[in-house]
Amino acid sequence: MQNETHQPNPKKRKSLIRRIYDVLSGFHLATIALVLLLILTWLATLEQIDAGLYPTLKKYFSWESPFILPTLNGKTIPVILPGGYYVSAILLINMTLGGIIRIRKGWGQAGNLISHFGIVFMLLGGGVAHHFSERGNMMIRETETVDVAEDYHEYVIEVAENKYGKPQEISVIRGKFLENLHAGQTTIFSFKGLPISLEVSGYLGNCQPENALSNPPRSKELVADGYYLSELKNNTQTERNIAGCYARIVFADGKKSPPFILWGGQFYPFTFKDAERVFTLDMRKRLWPMPFEVKLDTFTADFHPGTSRPAKFISDVQRIENGQAAKVKIQMNEPMRHSGLTFFQASYGPPDAKPGDKLYSVFEIVKNPADKWPEYSLYMVAFGMLVTFLTKLGSHIGASSRKRNHAA
Amino acid sequence: MRFLSPLLGIVLFLCVSCKKPPEKMEVTETRRPSTKDQAVKFFASSDERFRDAKPSPVKGKAPQNWLALPASQFRELNYRFGESGTGEVYVTLASGSVADNANRWFGQFGRPKLSPAEIDALEKLPIAGTQGVWIEAKGEYGSAMGGGSKPGYGLAGVIAQIGETILTLKMVGPEAEVEAEKEALKAFAASLEMTQ
Repeated sequence: MQNETHQPNPKKRKSLIRRIYDVLSGFHLATIALVLLLILTWLATLEQIDAGLYPTLKKYFSWESPFILPTLNGKTIPVILPGGYYVSAILLINMTLGGIIRIRKGWGQAGNLISHFGIVFMLLGGGVAHHFSERGNMMIRETETVDVAEDYHEYVIEVAENKYGKPQEISVIRGKFLENLHAGQTTIFSFKGLPISLEVSGYLGNCQPENALSNPPRSKELVADGYYLSELKNNTQTERNIAGCYARIVFADGKKSPPFILWGGQFYPFTFKDAERVFTLDMRKRLWPMPFEVKLDTFTADFHPGTSRPAKFISDVQRIENGQAAKVKIQMNEPMRHSGLTFFQASYGPPDAKPGDKLYSVFEIVKNPADKWPEYSLYMVAFGMLVTFLTKLGSHIGASSRKRNHAA
Repeated sequence: MRFLSPLLGIVLFLCVSCKKPPEKMEVTETRRPSTKDQAVKFFASSDERFRDAKPSPVKGKAPQNWLALPASQFRELNYRFGESGTGEVYVTLASGSVADNANRWFGQFGRPKLSPAEIDALEKLPIAGTQGVWIEAKGEYGSAMGGGSKPGYGLAGVIAQIGETILTLKMVGPEAEVEAEKEALKAFAASLEMTQ
C-alpha cells in the first residue's frame, strides 16, 4: 500500500497578466480609487473658494491633469496626487473587470451586477460629458431673435472679409491656439481664401487696454496706437476675465502692418483695407451657432414680496426652425430640450433693473450627449440595490422557514 | 517597476505642460454670420474700440486704484475695485424718485422700505453740484440678476435729483472692501459733474 500522505504542492506562480488582472479587478484598487476621489473632491471644494470653480475643476478633473499639487489658502501642499480624471478611469476599469466580468454570476448576484452596471454607466457618462459636452449662454431681449450662443470662457479671434457692409464667412482662431502665445511666443495664422495672414503674440488671459498718455506703461509694455495691454489678476469667476493680445497683419508680399491690440471687450472690430477689400478682426468669446433661431416673446419675473430676489422667471419663446415656429415656455427647472441641446433659464438682467425697465433673459445652453446618463445610472443602481435587498430578504425568510420546519 | 508609474506620469505631465506653439498654422474653422454680427462699425479708432468714446453725460475723478471699465447701456461710468475683483462702482441716470431708488437698494439687502421723510433725513453729501442722500446697507445682497444672493456684502452710495433725472452713484462689494473705500467714494461723488 502506498503511502497516501499528500505532499504540499509547490505554490503555482500566477502569470504576470493574471496578476495585473487581479490587481485591476481587485477590491483594494476600488477602495483606493474611491478614497482618492473623496480626497480630491474635498481638496477641490476647499481650493475653489480662492481659485474659482472653473480653474479648480480643470486642475483636479481634466484629462490634461495627470497629477496635481493641491493649494490651500494660497500655499502649495507638497503632496503629488493623481488627477481625478485618471482615478475615475481606473475606477471604471476596476468596476468593469471586478464588478461585471470577475463577479460570481448567478441569481444571488443579479442585484450587485445591475448596480455595478449603473456605476460603470455613470463613470462613462462623466467621460463622455468631459470630452463631448459644450456649454454657453444666450442673452436675448424681448422681441429679439438670436441664433447663436456664446462660450463662457474661450476667447477667439475672428477674421472676416466684409462685402456690402456685412461679414462673409468668418474664420475663427480657437482659444487653444492663442492661450500659449505669451510674451516672446508668436504664431502666424493663415486663412483659406484670404490674401493675408495674422501674426499674434503677447496673449493675456485677463487684461485691459490702457491709454499710454493718461496712464503710462510701467513695465515697458508694447504701445500700439496709443494703447497698451495692462495685465490684471485672474478673477475667481473666470467668465469675467477679458483676454487680449497684440497682432500684426502679414500681407501677401511678406510685409507686416504696425502692431495693434485685439481685446475681448472691444466695442468695434479692428478694420483694415487690402486692395479695396475690407477685412475685420475681432476678439470675442467664441460664438456657437444654434441649429434653430430663438425669439423671446415675453419675459416675466416674479419676486419674493418686498425683495428683489426672484421667486420665478419665465421666458416665453418661439423656436424657429425651417420657417416653422413652435411656442415654448422656459422656466426654472423646466428647460427646453431640442436637437441635443438643453436651454436652461439661467438669469436675467440688467443687474439694476428698475420697475418698468425692459429686461433681457439669459439662457444657459448645454450640449451633452450624456445629459440623462447620470439619471439613468441612478435608476439602475437603485434598482440593483432593490433586487439585492429583495434577494437577501427572500433568502433570509427561506432560511428561517426551513429552520422552523427542521425544528418542528 | 516600482518607480515606473510615477516616472511615466511625470513624463506625461511634462509632455502636456510644455506645448510650444507652432510658428505657422492654417486656420480651417469657420462659422456663418449670425444675428450677433449686425451693425459693425468699420475703421473705428482705438479710443472708439476700447472706450466707445462717446461724450459721457457725467464725469468725475476716480481714485487710481479703481479699475475703469467701459460705460454700458445702463452705466454712464463704470469701475471695479477691491482685492476680490468683485467690488463695483457705477454711475447711472435713473427715473423715479430718490425714495424709489433708495428703497430699491434697501430691498436688495432685505431691508424694509423707508418713507420719503425718513429718506430725506438721511445724511447729505455733495454730488454733481447738488446734495444727494447717502445710503448704506450691509448683509445678504440679492441683485436682480437672478444669480443668487451674496452674503457679507456692503453697499454705499449717493442718490440725487438733478432736474428731472435721478443721478445714482452706487458702490457694492464685499463688506470690508466697501468699508475701506467709503471715503474715496465720497470724494468721487464730490468730483462728479454733469456735462450735458
